[in-house]
Amino acid sequence: MNLPGDLRYTSDHEWVRKTSDTSVQVGITDYAQDALGDVVFVQPPQVGDQCGQGSALGEVESTKSVSEIYAPVAGEVIGVNTALEESPELLNSDPYGSGWICEIRVESMDILEALMDAAAYQALIEG
Amino acid sequence: MRQSPLAGRHREAGAKMVDFGGWEMPLEYEGTITEHLACRNGAVMFDVSHLGTVRLTGAEGFDRLQRTLTNDLTKIAPGRAQYTHLLDTDGSVLDDIIIWWWQEVGSEAGSPPVDIFDVMPNASNTDSVIAALGGTDITGERAVIAVQGPTARRQVGELWPEAAAVGRFRVQPLNWRGHSCVVAGTGYTGEDGVEISVPILGAEELWDGLVAVGITPAGLGARDTVRLEAGLPLHGHELGPGITPLQAGLDWVVAFDKPEFRGREALLAERTAGVQRSLRGLHTEGRRPLRAGYQVSIDGTMCGEVTSGNYSAVLGHGIAFALLNSTVKIGDTVSVDLRGTATPATVVATPFVPRGRSTGV
Repeated sequence: MNLPGDLRYTSDHEWVRKTSDTSVQVGITDYAQDALGDVVFVQPPQVGDQCGQGSALGEVESTKSVSEIYAPVAGEVIGVNTALEESPELLNSDPYGSGWICEIRVESMDILEALMDAAAYQALIEG
Repeated sequence: MRQSPLAGRHREAGAKMVDFGGWEMPLEYEGTITEHLACRNGAVMFDVSHLGTVRLTGAEGFDRLQRTLTNDLTKIAPGRAQYTHLLDTDGSVLDDIIIWWWQEVGSEAGSPPVDIFDVMPNASNTDSVIAALGGTDITGERAVIAVQGPTARRQVGELWPEAAAVGRFRVQPLNWRGHSCVVAGTGYTGEDGVEISVPILGAEELWDGLVAVGITPAGLGARDTVRLEAGLPLHGHELGPGITPLQAGLDWVVAFDKPEFRGREALLAERTAGVQRSLRGLHTEGRRPLRAGYQVSIDGTMCGEVTSGNYSAVLGHGIAFALLNSTVKIGDTVSVDLRGTATPATVVATPFVPRGRSTGV
């Protein structure tokens, strides 16, 4: 299972990457994409949406089920990955790269410290 | 949970295993869409050992089937397969079934051949089928491998020419390296192919032989998406309690001219009164799948619900089956409540992908 060391993780199987002093990128983990199976549709949030930590951010649909994506951090959505409209399978093939879902502007980066690091997340999914 | 005789092979191949009707079966190996397109463009094999095999024999077996099931066995003969239904007395489809009818040579020289009827219900319905028909449950004695796809016969022929030569809806007992198998030209994908019942002692060897001629294993995930594209019903979705063969558009499975089959009176009454709802296909523009249970309306009035839906890998958009009021016609635009989002869909004829003539994208 691929778990990059520079990311933070949630118990809902999202990852968070710091992209600037005020913004983070969000996606779903390798574990999550493997459990979902082939992703055929992604409903991302809209730019300008305000989200609270743990609020619904969008949906991912696979050939077998639908799953909600939850906001790992509170903030404002400032970008979404429009490539997923035509190529939702990027969540499967490159979950930490071109399969990113959205970018969120946060008030403070302190929140990241409360999320799991790779070792803690690995312990969760292996638990 | 019950295990397929091929469970070890699935685990070695890295399959994702799931509970399916009380059996632990492979959901997918490489991925459902990859396996789906392999079935449309080449050849795949599904382990369908979880489907039951209930064996009836002789004139008594024939009578039992002919008096209970909807289709007319006199339309076929030994060496043929038939699709048929077991109904409840209210006309509901308790199970949809394939019968393989073949003959075993007599045990003594000069004795006549014995008719064998291998009745293949859906996994979780085997007990209710035995209750209605009797017979012997031989599910635990064999594996069943369904090889399907446009190149299925050519590739099976590289391993076992006699099996590859069994024609569409034909059934033949054949020996595979000392194992007594039954091969039928049946399937559930809309593609050409054969299904092979092999004793458990020969199952892994046959599976390995099919792998060696380049046939890719495919899981039950792909089996569901290919059957949907091919417009084939799944019990528990398009067939089941409260759903009759007439509603499902399967009138051809019902031999009303037989004097007797279970549910006949209820179906005659429904036919006389007029069938109130009908199974239809739905197309959506986007990729987002419709799913079982979503409500369907037309001009603001409820008209039915989705029974199965998914993304069609061949067509590149959403497709679904829905049970709709019979007043809704092919070509109508309906609205599906997709978890709160009104999603337009067009009512279409099935199959969604022409059987045996598909190409992948």
